[in-house]
Amino acid sequence: MTDDVRDRTGGCYCGAVRFTARDVPLTFGICHCETCRRWTGSALLGVTVPADNITWEGEDHIARHQSSSFAERAWCSTCGSNLFFRFTGGGAPVGGVELPVGVLDDASDMVVHNEIFIDHKPDAYAFVPNDRQVLTRAQCAEKFPLLDRG
Amino acid sequence: MGSTAGGCLCGAVRYTLARAPAEMDVCHCGMCRKHTGGLALGLMVPRDEVTWEGFEHVGLFRSSDWAERGFCRTCGSGLFYRTLGDGPGSDMISLGAGSLDDLDGVRLTTEIFVDFQPDGYAFAGDLKRMTQAEVEAAFGSEEDSA
Ligand SMILES: [Zn+2]
Ligand SMILES: [Zn+2]
Ligand SMILES: [Zn+2]
Ligand SMILES: [Zn+2]
Repeated sequence: MTDDVRDRTGGCYCGAVRFTARDVPLTFGICHCETCRRWTGSALLGVTVPADNITWEGEDHIARHQSSSFAERAWCSTCGSNLFFRFTGGGAPVGGVELPVGVLDDASDMVVHNEIFIDHKPDAYAFVPNDRQVLTRAQCAEKFPLLDRG
Repeated sequence: MGSTAGGCLCGAVRYTLARAPAEMDVCHCGMCRKHTGGLALGLMVPRDEVTWEGFEHVGLFRSSDWAERGFCRTCGSGLFYRTLGDGPGSDMISLGAGSLDDLDGVRLTTEIFVDFQPDGYAFAGDLKRMTQAEVEAAFGSEEDSA
């Protein structure tokens, strides 16, 4: 346990789904891809947490959708709050769970550390620049070849 | 101007607008952040200018005595916020801006509930910024708030 992680609680808007997450990093990313844009209605502000670090309550209220061949998205079936995004590889979940920072009870001490699919961001808005890393879709695909498999 | 069509991620719910929207706003209140997972970018349009297809796939959640939120029950996309009854704002609907097929030409102009905005990010540009008190003074208190 280092200084740059915290244990956090969170849940959906109506309270049917709650969770506790251990060792949540203080930094989160912003994804401007079309899938995240449509799903959230804006952009995904996500923090990556190992799946085993999250304990869910009210799991029977979690609805899921396979949004591409490599990822699934989940939300509360009662209130519609977006709950998580995760890579599923060829079937079984792999890697971390991406939690939208908005479902954390308190994310006021968290800061943006990267902004991805920046070339897909609508011109309508931009975030105040800080020292975050900014990546285009092509640069993301170099890091995560899965993206180009659809 | 943006496009006049939009819809959810999976395509089960689609809409067309009578006019392309020119402006969007963002609400930083706790409820909007929770519902969208963070950023509540909205397109405020007259309700009678929206034609829905696949509305039977919309899940409605009554988020307060005076408002409800709509989402796609198939893919979980957040779609809109609207007030109930015939009070102030009942002729309008706030669509999740990201649902529009093309946002090119739409400008973010206004931030509301700025006193609830987390410190971790901020929008660039010279935007109109309103606190909860300023929003309530201007529109009454029918907005959900944190
Ligand atoms: Zn819920
Ligand atoms: Zn994305
Ligand atoms: Zn859908
Ligand atoms: Zn709000």
